[in-house]
Amino acid sequence: MGSEARKRARERLKEQRAKERKAAARRRNLIVVGVAAAVIVLIVGIGYAVLNSDRDEGYTGPLAAQTLQEDGSVVMAQEGARAPVVEVYADYQCPACRQFELTNGGLLKERAAQGEAIVHFRPVSIFAQQQVPISSNSLRGGAAARIAADHGVFVQYNDVLFENQPTEGREGFSTEQLREWFAGLDTSAAQQEEFDARLEEEAAVVTEFTEEFLPALTEDAVAQIGQETLGTMVLSDLLAWGADNGHDPGFLEGTYTGELIDATGAAYTRYSGDSAFRGTPSVYINGVLLDNNTAMTVRGLSEAIASADPGKVETQPLADGGEAQ
Amino acid sequence: MDTPDESPAPAPAPGSRWSALQPWLTLACRLALAGILVYAAVSKYPPALSVQAVEAYDLFPHEVARLIGYTLPLFELALAVLLLVGLATRFTGAVTALLMVVFIAGILSAMARGLSIDCGCFGGGGAVDPGETTYGLSIARDIGFAALGAFIALWPRSPLALDRPLGLFR
Repeated sequence: MGSEARKRARERLKEQRAKERKAAARRRNLIVVGVAAAVIVLIVGIGYAVLNSDRDEGYTGPLAAQTLQEDGSVVMAQEGARAPVVEVYADYQCPACRQFELTNGGLLKERAAQGEAIVHFRPVSIFAQQQVPISSNSLRGGAAARIAADHGVFVQYNDVLFENQPTEGREGFSTEQLREWFAGLDTSAAQQEEFDARLEEEAAVVTEFTEEFLPALTEDAVAQIGQETLGTMVLSDLLAWGADNGHDPGFLEGTYTGELIDATGAAYTRYSGDSAFRGTPSVYINGVLLDNNTAMTVRGLSEAIASADPGKVETQPLADGGEAQ
Repeated sequence: MDTPDESPAPAPAPGSRWSALQPWLTLACRLALAGILVYAAVSKYPPALSVQAVEAYDLFPHEVARLIGYTLPLFELALAVLLLVGLATRFTGAVTALLMVVFIAGILSAMARGLSIDCGCFGGGGAVDPGETTYGLSIARDIGFAALGAFIALWPRSPLALDRPLGLFR
């Protein structure tokens, strides 16, 4: 073999080896990426299964009795139940409240029906001061729920409102929808008539409040006490200031819209310290605010209820009763 | 076996400080990004709130938003694990950088549609007052994270990586 031929053979061998090395490297790379992808699928899959196991099955059994309270809130409990009081503050336009309802609405109904919890629904409107339609959706939804409470179907109506919560910033909870949803519940024609009439009144109040009264009041307040101070005031403080400064809130008197605004203001002063009311959803057991990990997981809330002592509802039932059955 | 002079590896340039430093830089990027991803994933718990943060973007139907809200933190966690152990380093770095690009696109879309939301990057999320959005900050942060991922993808060679015993990026 000549030296030329030997050299060529050597070179071919070298090329061949390089090619093989490359192919092997590519294969290794693919295998490792495949393993990595499998690790991702495994972690996501197992994690998803674990997180989903926290899902509540959705309670469809009979509801415990609903009792309308003087301040417009509603207590759902078995008669004479000795159990922890779970207070739920929610705004019908608040997405996290919807998530709470989806996560734990069923659990609350079940525990109340078993006599293991006294559930105190306290609708509020923390969005009443936002722009239309966020503010108007929030107030109209809350007012409609309050009318439903007059007819003993607050809990059912509460569910429907959250199921159909408008996307933030979009017009929703129209009077037509609100009427229809009430009609979809187990209610009589006479009740529907009362509901519709009251809803018209409330919707008009909401429109006046969010589109005329509040913008004018806010403009005045900004001019006279400044944006900064205003930012620290809750709506009921602002209304009180307005009453002394030429913005008569009289049209809210006796309306459910006004009652909702009052209930919201009262929430801010009801608790103190770590349990102070700051926003929605806020869930309390016997007056102690729950953290998100407790309130927003089925296991967390379930365990918190199980380990709490019996409590006492702080409000009084409305004299003429909310159970117009 | 190969004789040393046949080795295909880029000849270590005389006095190349870069080739000595780079693996440690990549390791630092891996650890930093893994830490960020773990924090991002954990702060999104519980999933009910994570779902709400996704829904605030108003981009997906409820069921899809729910799926993303549940699985995105897990995906972040999985990427963190891979970065930490150094498995498929180039691939993981690239995927993480890509994820950040997707996040940036989401934030830009929220901005463009005039939404006032919290990005929900590290928990939180949902509507905020129009004056309180921090889109610029969130995007800048994500660009930084994407840069870490890109560095890892470009220079995947690093110490303390499972890739090495498996014959990758030695």
